[in-house]
Amino acid sequence: MDEYLRLENICKTYESKKAVDNLSLSVPQGSIYGIIGPNGAGKTTTIRMVMNIIAPDSGEVLIKGSKAKDDFRNRVGYLPEERGLYKQMTLKEIIRFLAEVKGLPVKKTDELMDGWLEKMSLIDYKEKKVEELSKGMQQKLQFITTLIHQPDLIILDELFSGLDPLNIELIKNVLMEEKRRGTTILFSTHVMEQAEKLCDYICMINGGQKVLDGRLSDVKSKFGTNSIQINMDGDGGFIQELPGVEKVSEFNNYIELKLSAEADSQAILKTVSEKMTIHRFEIMEPSLYDIFINMGGVKPSDFNKEGAANV
Amino acid sequence: MSKMWVIIKREYAQVVKKKSFIVGIILTPLFMVAITVLPAMLASKQSDDTHEMAIIDLDDKGVGEKFAESLNQYTLDDDLPAYEVTDIYNINPDDTLKLAEQRSFLDSLVRDKQLKSYLIINYKAEENDSIVLVAKSFGFRNNSRFEKRMSDILSGIRLDNTEVNLEVDSILNLTRRIDLSQQAPGGIERDFMTMYMGGIIFVMIIFMTIITYGQVLMRSIIEEKNSRIIEVMISSVSPFQLMAGKIIGLGLANLTQVGIWIVIGLGIYSFRGDLNISADVAATMFNPVFLTFFLAYLLIGYIMYSTLFALIGSIVNTDKEAQNFIFPITMCLILPVMTAMYIIQEPDSAITVTMSLIPLFTPTMMILRMNFIGVDAFTFANPIILEATIGIVITSLTTLLIIWLTSKIFRIGILMYGKRPTLPEIFKWMRYK
Repeated sequence: MDEYLRLENICKTYESKKAVDNLSLSVPQGSIYGIIGPNGAGKTTTIRMVMNIIAPDSGEVLIKGSKAKDDFRNRVGYLPEERGLYKQMTLKEIIRFLAEVKGLPVKKTDELMDGWLEKMSLIDYKEKKVEELSKGMQQKLQFITTLIHQPDLIILDELFSGLDPLNIELIKNVLMEEKRRGTTILFSTHVMEQAEKLCDYICMINGGQKVLDGRLSDVKSKFGTNSIQINMDGDGGFIQELPGVEKVSEFNNYIELKLSAEADSQAILKTVSEKMTIHRFEIMEPSLYDIFINMGGVKPSDFNKEGAANV
Repeated sequence: MSKMWVIIKREYAQVVKKKSFIVGIILTPLFMVAITVLPAMLASKQSDDTHEMAIIDLDDKGVGEKFAESLNQYTLDDDLPAYEVTDIYNINPDDTLKLAEQRSFLDSLVRDKQLKSYLIINYKAEENDSIVLVAKSFGFRNNSRFEKRMSDILSGIRLDNTEVNLEVDSILNLTRRIDLSQQAPGGIERDFMTMYMGGIIFVMIIFMTIITYGQVLMRSIIEEKNSRIIEVMISSVSPFQLMAGKIIGLGLANLTQVGIWIVIGLGIYSFRGDLNISADVAATMFNPVFLTFFLAYLLIGYIMYSTLFALIGSIVNTDKEAQNFIFPITMCLILPVMTAMYIIQEPDSAITVTMSLIPLFTPTMMILRMNFIGVDAFTFANPIILEATIGIVITSLTTLLIIWLTSKIFRIGILMYGKRPTLPEIFKWMRYK
């Protein structure tokens, strides 16, 4: 697949803090690419450098192999982490305005507007002011303004923050449609579960540095550890002693086994089923979260820390 | 450029569409009149009522009668006498009991407002005279009239008692005071009050519109920062385009407002015959050379100061934080108004000229001076025209410098949330790539 966006050894230092440290990555055309990392990892700074909102201290941002030209801004749709719109404008006015600063003529915007408002069930509010909308509606509206000019690259910072589950579904569907159109989608998040369901490629960063990157499936098979979940009746104390089992974690109604690389899961199933009733036996794919914790040396609490510097 | 135009259109529409724009067009002049012209008008306004007073005269020279007579020259607007002396009581100064009785009687009349005041005249040929005015309230105009009349009368009496071999009247005539009449080149009368008011009005227009639109600009940047839409904006346009678009859009709204005032002003001017507007006010205010300079300074002043307001908006997070920064800006703008009384006396002094060439003071100060000195034609032979032209060059260069500095800070500041940056931090921003 062709490469759309490439970062080459970019660095950005604020005061004494290295926000982004020698980061390189390659985003294929038409892919959904997730930048994942805890708060303060440098995701927003990276995105701002891609957008040319701030310039890297060193390194280069390349679009299709060359430096971004002036009209690149028109071909990007950007949804910042914290959402906001001009509250005093009507939906119609603000969609027109934000499309016009992207270079979309008003006539073209008007043609596309109703379709988008229908899709996001906002059509009845077209002449209403933004401040009259609920928060969820404002997010959907902001999504329209991000996408209406049919960008080649969609950049979504902390895509899932503040979205309710219904809107997450809606927006995922819209993004899949955009992907089919050939649009490249770059997003950042610290919510791993959502990223896993959406992206083709990932790049994990922490402390401004890349931890790992690549196609999601490759990353999983390469860096994953085998694990099994079992629902069963009775005391499974003996399981700890089985060959290949490295660690047993007990949860409310199931246990999770961490296996060594050469362990035979079928043998374990057989042994356990002889001794007790199994309700569920599942070979787990490693989660991104686990991979990250293993690879990055990050503490799980880093992902829940709020209010980290947002630069 | 076309993107900047989109921003200009939005900023302009957002201001002009609001009801507050229309209200501002009507209320701002009223407010300006209220704080500048009104006190001056009230001060020069005649009282409506005849001032009723009594006199206690402690001598036998008929000073009281002469004084009462001298007051007849003063009349009110409707030709009624300005003063009426109801009674003159001649009392022997040694009869303290009677004097005290008379005073307490007159005191009660003054308290009950049956009399405005009474005067106790104690003429002493050799020592200083004692003249006492008793009233519930005192006015500058009455005092100066009474002083003047009384001085004339008492000097006359003293002259009578000397060996000078001249008629009293001719001595008074020889020592009479003069009134200075002020004229602009071309013989146009310029009195102090119209000069002061004419100058202050233009300074107030510059001051009010810069403060109003500068703060609108600053607030809108703070609001965009808080709602984070600023990030969406700078993903579409460069920070400089955003800043310039906002300044120009609001500037056009500002010009629209001032334009409407000027049109209204010219409308009133064309009916000046009916409205009795004095020729010298009109000559100063509607002189094309002056108006051109005024609009130039309004524009440069607006751009210079609103860029500073944009700078403040980009580095602070709340209106409250912004207040600390606004204060010095307001001081720079209002300084010419505060020093107007000095400038009007010394519009050409070294201090005034120097101050009016300090860029932050130039727009208001120069307009004030031009008004006081008077301009009729565009010629560098008139030093004020030369100075005002130099002022335009200096302020334009300063404005470019401010724009350059601000654009370096603005692009970083609008992305910084949370803690207010310290000055060293702001200097560091300027070095960011």
